[in-house]
Amino acid sequence: MKTFTNVNARDLRQAVARSADARQSGQAASFAGGGSDLLALMKERIVRPDVIVSLKPIKGLDQLTPGGGGITIGGLITLDALSRDARIHRQYAVLAEAAASVATPQIRNVGTLAGNLCQRPWCWYYRNGFPCLKAGGSQCFSVSGENQFHAIFGGGPSYIVHPSDTAPALVALDATFRIVGPSGEREVPAADFFVLPRQNAAAENVLANDELLASVHVPTAAGGMRSMYEKVLDREAWTHAVVSAAVVLRMDGQTCRDARVVLGGVAPIPWRLPEVERLLTGQRITEEVAARAGELAVAGARPLAKNGYKVPLTNALVRRTVLELARRA
Amino acid sequence: MKNRLSLRVYNGTFRYRFPHFAGDTMSTRRRSTDPPGLSRRDFLETTAATVVVAAAAAPAIDGQALAGAPTLVQPDPAVPRSAIRVTLNGTARRLDVEDRWTLAELLRDHLGLTGTKIGCDRGECGACTVLMDGKPVYSCSQLAAWADGCSIETVEGVAKKDGLEALQRAFVAHDGPQCGFCTSGQLMSALALHRVNARPTVEDARAAMVGNLCRCGNYNRYVEATVGHSLSPSRDAAANPRSLGGGGQSASPVATASAALSLLHTVGHPTPKIDGVERVTGQATYTGDVKLPGMLYARVLRSPHAHARIRSIDVSKARAMPGVKAVLTRENCEVVWGAGAIAGGQQYNDDIKRITKQRRYAFNNPVRFVGDPVAAVAAVNRHVAEEALLQILVDYEVLPFVLEPEEALAPNAVKIWPEGNLALNVRNEAQPNVQTRGNVGNGLAAAERTFEDRFTTAFEHNAQMEPRVAVATWEGEKLTVYTPTGGIANCRHDIARDLGLPDDRVRVVCQYMGGNFGNKNQNQDADLIAAMLAKEAGAPVKLELSRKEDFIGMHGRWPTIQYYTVGTTSAGTLQAIQLRAYSGMGPYRKNTGNIGGIDLYQCPNIETVVTPVYTNKTVSGNLRGPEYPQGFYGIQSMMDDVASKLKMDPVEFILKNMTRLARNEVPYTNYTLEECIRRGAEIFEWKKRWRQDPGSGRGPVKRGAGVSFMAFRSELGRSSAVIRLDASGQYTVFVGVTDVGGGAKTTMALIAAEALGVPLSQVTVVWGDTDRCPYSVGESGSRTTIMTGDAVIEAARDLRKQIAEKGPPKGAEMLVASATPTPRVEGKVRSAFGAHFVEVEVDVELGRARVVKYVAVHDSGRIINPLAAASQIKGGAAMGIGMALHEDLRYDRQTGRPLTTGFYYDRIPTHRDVPDIEVVFIESDDGLGPYGAKSVGESGKALSPAAIANAVSNAIGRRMKDLPITRDRILGALA
Ligand SMILES: Cc1cc2nc3c(=O)[nH]c(=O)nc-3n(C[C@H](O)[C@H](O)[C@H](O)COP(=O)(O)OP(=O)(O)OC[C@H]3O[C@@H](n4cnc5c(N)ncnc54)[C@H](O)[C@@H]3O)c2cc1C
Ligand code: SF4
Ligand code: FES
Ligand code: FES
Repeated sequence: MKTFTNVNARDLRQAVARSADARQSGQAASFAGGGSDLLALMKERIVRPDVIVSLKPIKGLDQLTPGGGGITIGGLITLDALSRDARIHRQYAVLAEAAASVATPQIRNVGTLAGNLCQRPWCWYYRNGFPCLKAGGSQCFSVSGENQFHAIFGGGPSYIVHPSDTAPALVALDATFRIVGPSGEREVPAADFFVLPRQNAAAENVLANDELLASVHVPTAAGGMRSMYEKVLDREAWTHAVVSAAVVLRMDGQTCRDARVVLGGVAPIPWRLPEVERLLTGQRITEEVAARAGELAVAGARPLAKNGYKVPLTNALVRRTVLELARRA
Repeated sequence: MKNRLSLRVYNGTFRYRFPHFAGDTMSTRRRSTDPPGLSRRDFLETTAATVVVAAAAAPAIDGQALAGAPTLVQPDPAVPRSAIRVTLNGTARRLDVEDRWTLAELLRDHLGLTGTKIGCDRGECGACTVLMDGKPVYSCSQLAAWADGCSIETVEGVAKKDGLEALQRAFVAHDGPQCGFCTSGQLMSALALHRVNARPTVEDARAAMVGNLCRCGNYNRYVEATVGHSLSPSRDAAANPRSLGGGGQSASPVATASAALSLLHTVGHPTPKIDGVERVTGQATYTGDVKLPGMLYARVLRSPHAHARIRSIDVSKARAMPGVKAVLTRENCEVVWGAGAIAGGQQYNDDIKRITKQRRYAFNNPVRFVGDPVAAVAAVNRHVAEEALLQILVDYEVLPFVLEPEEALAPNAVKIWPEGNLALNVRNEAQPNVQTRGNVGNGLAAAERTFEDRFTTAFEHNAQMEPRVAVATWEGEKLTVYTPTGGIANCRHDIARDLGLPDDRVRVVCQYMGGNFGNKNQNQDADLIAAMLAKEAGAPVKLELSRKEDFIGMHGRWPTIQYYTVGTTSAGTLQAIQLRAYSGMGPYRKNTGNIGGIDLYQCPNIETVVTPVYTNKTVSGNLRGPEYPQGFYGIQSMMDDVASKLKMDPVEFILKNMTRLARNEVPYTNYTLEECIRRGAEIFEWKKRWRQDPGSGRGPVKRGAGVSFMAFRSELGRSSAVIRLDASGQYTVFVGVTDVGGGAKTTMALIAAEALGVPLSQVTVVWGDTDRCPYSVGESGSRTTIMTGDAVIEAARDLRKQIAEKGPPKGAEMLVASATPTPRVEGKVRSAFGAHFVEVEVDVELGRARVVKYVAVHDSGRIINPLAAASQIKGGAAMGIGMALHEDLRYDRQTGRPLTTGFYYDRIPTHRDVPDIEVVFIESDDGLGPYGAKSVGESGKALSPAAIANAVSNAIGRRMKDLPITRDRILGALA
């Protein structure tokens, strides 16, 4: 790793200020939540901060706070704590399951929700130090290279898939992200937090310099709401999603009153499927309906040379997840 | 068994129960006779040097200096530092740390707590697991500065004053550690689980340890230790004579099918490793744990190009950096790495070195693959060394490259060597490896049915948990190299030859080693580079490879393309087998590139032409059963398909066509192949699980079964052993083994105890140091037990004779016996046999393949230590799961750079990928080898990919013709 200074932030304001100070004096700064992703990138010299602003010492930002018509989740909560919380389990199973599906206990014990949402791409070109778009270069190597794990939706000019498991879950829950920066706070809907490469090829989200993700608000679960997260891994554990599905259904008896279906592992952002949601709404979820949902899910897929298998895979995953969730008592 | 172990432990002096541990008290003993070839002075010097290592590895600071945060190293004002407070293994500490240190680095380098290992430094393996505020975390992925205010527990803090923690005892009893490199991490994860769940289920245990990889594949054992019972049913317990012998109520799910063997005293009883305690307490010293006074840290600069000529290298800036002590490039280091190329599969020797046209240097120009070393730097610490690499300016003329063997043989392909891309053998001939019997042309012409197909296998990396490292130090003209080698004798000889030194001026030490898996019974370029840097700098040097460098710069199984043509009668009797194949060797030919498996079949006409080809990929070499797993997969998939096309049950097909005479003509010393297959089929319930109609079954989740079988060389051969008896009645066995994970030390102790007729506790083993141990063949080719074991028996026999003649030694007297037998089998072939039966579950919509049932039946002769032997088979099978389903060093074709470097992208199997692997030994004694022992180590691996691939094909009704059988291939085959 390049030599750097570690700065411990006491609170959000100070964290933002230290980052801004560093930048103004010509230094590169990075925030560290759990730091598990940041350190790996620094060791490969893919990111080279002069200053790390550690958020670990900030008190209270690892809590779950009910209120505001829902629950506010501090950005520094660990994935482990999030996955074990009884309220989250009861009301937002999709989020608990997504958090529990991340990597390993060791990573979940340090990895924070904010860090998980802001982790950089796991495209093997990027992580192997290729000078691609995500690394400030002008070329995507995957598009005509080894793209087995790359995007089938929303790709170009970069074809990464968004790596976070919690991201599709939060989009499916209509969460709102609270961002704190040098000029104050702002809130954005989860779905608007993530950006496609055609909007900004170098970044995965709307965070500007020195801005950080402070917390996430999830609205109260409506009556009859149930949710689940299904993830296909590339071995039995410890990989990112090849494809995942975050599904939230509001059921009224046998009938679906409202639906959210958001995919992971298929696009540079959590990939919401509004047509599928419309299809499901107002329907009894039969095998036929679920099958149509699967077909519709991949209607717009544009696979690359080596990731065509993701199309039938996504189709099946959507069909099976929707059906299983609808049938749950 | 358990009782004996706990007694040991409650003695409270577990460190001293095993006096062969580094810092052996030998210097205080006097002896009348020294082992041949070793002077007494050598012993004393050796011991002294070992003590230095131990002392240097002790904590650099102590907890009492609480007044001010103590400074751990000479502070560099340019490097930001932080003062932190931590509670470390229960003791409050204030420490002054550099901001750039990871927690692992603080623990290992600056606090001497080297029980925490670094396998990847990236959060991909778990070797570095410690508890932070009671929770397992990867200490490589945390800065030391972030630990401020936390409580940290490491493996060193687990044992209590009165002995081992119960979990540590269970880890030893259940044979958790093979090489032991992952053990600390597994233990810390299991410990955290036990604190919240005292009676975990198997699933709990797997979930808790899933973040801890074990390349030895010993997952079953770690789970068993954590849940406190074995996974497999214990078969034939009543019929097993051993269950009467004291070791029967073992942790081992080993079954013994034949009750015919005579019962022995120590041999044959499941025995935990004699150094198990060192391995579960973090006390075992691996090469990376060695820290010598004044030691420098080295890093290697590697080619980013698949093929390039170096026009110039400018090292002036790097050399001028403060803290840089030595820089090497081709310009000031012309050392040839003999074993790195052109050995053509033979042990490298002076004749080969003299004539070879294709020399591989420590630093090459042109560079021929991404990862070829270009320069090396030694500096006061690893951060400076890394920075210095960035200051080296290399001007490359980038050349065209070629990655695939068949493309490399095309007439217009770029030539990697002037002689062309067909790899040269030791006689500088560009010739394929050819084997013929009968006349294949006639055989195929006469066959009633013929079949053709093509199979491919991928580059599989060794991926041993311990990244390559070497520590070199010169005392005057004598070089000592600490290095993870499976063969200290060959390694020493290679280093000496490459550096132009006489053998006796080189000492090679390997006390513990984090996994072997092949190509380590010689020296490595890291040994040479460390030695040359140490010479240049005038100080000891530790050269560490990162995990990624280990993946791109070392070696793995050669990828193959195999074309088969098979002829049979209409009743399914083999008439002819033809194989034409290509093996990708990378740009240097380290090994043969062969493809084995044809000889498994009784067939009058065979012809194999295997062409080893140079490519600009990472160098291929021997990996666990060098030519077998890929060859067995190819031919046994082919034959499985032939059987299915002939509407035959594959087991019937095998029984009809399997080898009964070696190479169709030579009898085996004994023959149990048929028994292995029949018994395995019965235990596995083959008839029930195998689908006559492949791919049938309702629903998306299909099941299928597959079988594979083998005969595996178990040759006898030369090795040496020395045994010494002192007046206290303690026997010390000197053997040149390094114990790479198979438990060789324990095996030798068991054999010695048996041959001497004394209890195991009276035997001490000295190993892994060329200045202290006689020649050993080295741990490759699954032959240590047989060859070195024979030497131990012979030395013991001699010693018993001496005792009978002279009486036991008194006072300062000693009796010493040595032996170097060269046993041979005349007119027969000695072979181990086995068969694996696998059931898989394949979700044909998600493309997910999972091994759900596994039965491995082996005849490896008499099993010296059933506990360790079963672990070996389990581990081999586990590794085979990775080879069958995931592992592949994939390249970007545009740049020739590898992509799947490291444990994460290469998808090494985890706890969740490996089911219970049931091991059944059919024991036989052919009157040869130590008590009838045959080879074990590689055979589990050789069989598993073939059985798994056949099972997947049986489940989905499509022949899987390419390894690994990844999701895209499964879905592709079904599309
Ligand atoms: C082998 C391996 C497998 C993995 N598998 C998975 C997986 O299956 N699913 C999955 O989702 N993840 C996976 N991960 C990623 C893992 O989840 C992340 O490493 C972890 O969640 C990141 O959390 P952290 O708090 O440690 O992040 P950090 O390393 O602290 O931060 C990650 C990034 O976000 C930035 N950042 C951190 N906090 C903030 C903030 N509050 N505001 C703005 N930016 C911030 C950092 O600057 C950095 O760029 C895997 C990682 C590894 C090493
Ligand atoms: S997909 Fe994105 S991260 Fe990967 S090579 Fe292309 S630009 Fe880089
Ligand atoms: S060394 Fe830390 S996870 Fe591998
Ligand atoms: S014992 Fe686990 S890696 Fe060797």
